[in-house]
Amino acid sequence: EDGQCPWWDAFAKACADENVCLEKTVFPAATDSKYLRIKGIPALGFSPMNHTPILLHDHNEYLNENIFLRGIDIYCTIISGLANV
Amino acid sequence: MAAKEDPAVTHFREYIRINTMQPNPDYVSCTAWLRIRGEAAGGEVEVVETFPGKPVVVISFPGTRPELGTLLLNSHTDVVPVFPEHWKYEPFSAHKDSEGNIYGRGTQDMKCVGIQYLEAIHRMKKQGKTFTRTIHLTFVPDEEIGGETGMQEFVKMPEFKKLNAAFALDEGYANPTDKFSLFYGERCVWWVMVKCTGQ
Ligand SMILES: [Zn+2]
Repeated sequence: EDGQCPWWDAFAKACADENVCLEKTVFPAATDSKYLRIKGIPALGFSPMNHTPILLHDHNEYLNENIFLRGIDIYCTIISGLANV
Repeated sequence: MAAKEDPAVTHFREYIRINTMQPNPDYVSCTAWLRIRGEAAGGEVEVVETFPGKPVVVISFPGTRPELGTLLLNSHTDVVPVFPEHWKYEPFSAHKDSEGNIYGRGTQDMKCVGIQYLEAIHRMKKQGKTFTRTIHLTFVPDEEIGGETGMQEFVKMPEFKKLNAAFALDEGYANPTDKFSLFYGERCVWWVMVKCTGQ
């Protein structure tokens, strides 16, 4: 996939710049991006939460504030990379 | 003694406290709050209803070359129900413990992401950064009940077409390791194949 899609390249470069190590996988459930993809708009599913147990839809769902704030730094790099493709 | 809280965290906790739990999400309060935050970040806010009472809040940041395809940053505003008796803290309190863990329905799925997009752009705008492409943040209703009354309908509307989206980000999952999960989306092939074999 590298070098074939400028959006992917920009996303991957931003993650490398932020030392974000990605574990690529197929989404286990359906989400709204399927409607975008049907319309031909490529979409990536990414929530910048590492060191965090998977608690969506579960009791005691939480997020640590430092992980949250680090996510904003990561998005700054990703968004500026993608918005300047 | 307590360190002053980062305003981004304060905004995140405010967003968690808006009860957008299915099946009766408070979209009125949510929309009003997003409008305030969007305008504070310097965005242009527009609200499109897919159905009465089902608002899509669009916050736009025009790029220097508005004719180019745009970047769409999507998140949903609704959250799944809770069984409060199983929670350590009230699920819509956004309680922060001594380790900085913020508890609440929607902290992972996915109010964190919606507010992170907004805070990231707000920060970059304050730094004077500009973007080539226009960025649209879409906050859509009803993802957790399948999206039929939310995104599925929105993508059919002229207001969606007008956004001229070329690429999108949406939610992923938490990852308990030091890595970050990524759900890749260039597999449009998939959808085409499903259609072909179905006929
Ligand atoms: Zn979700």
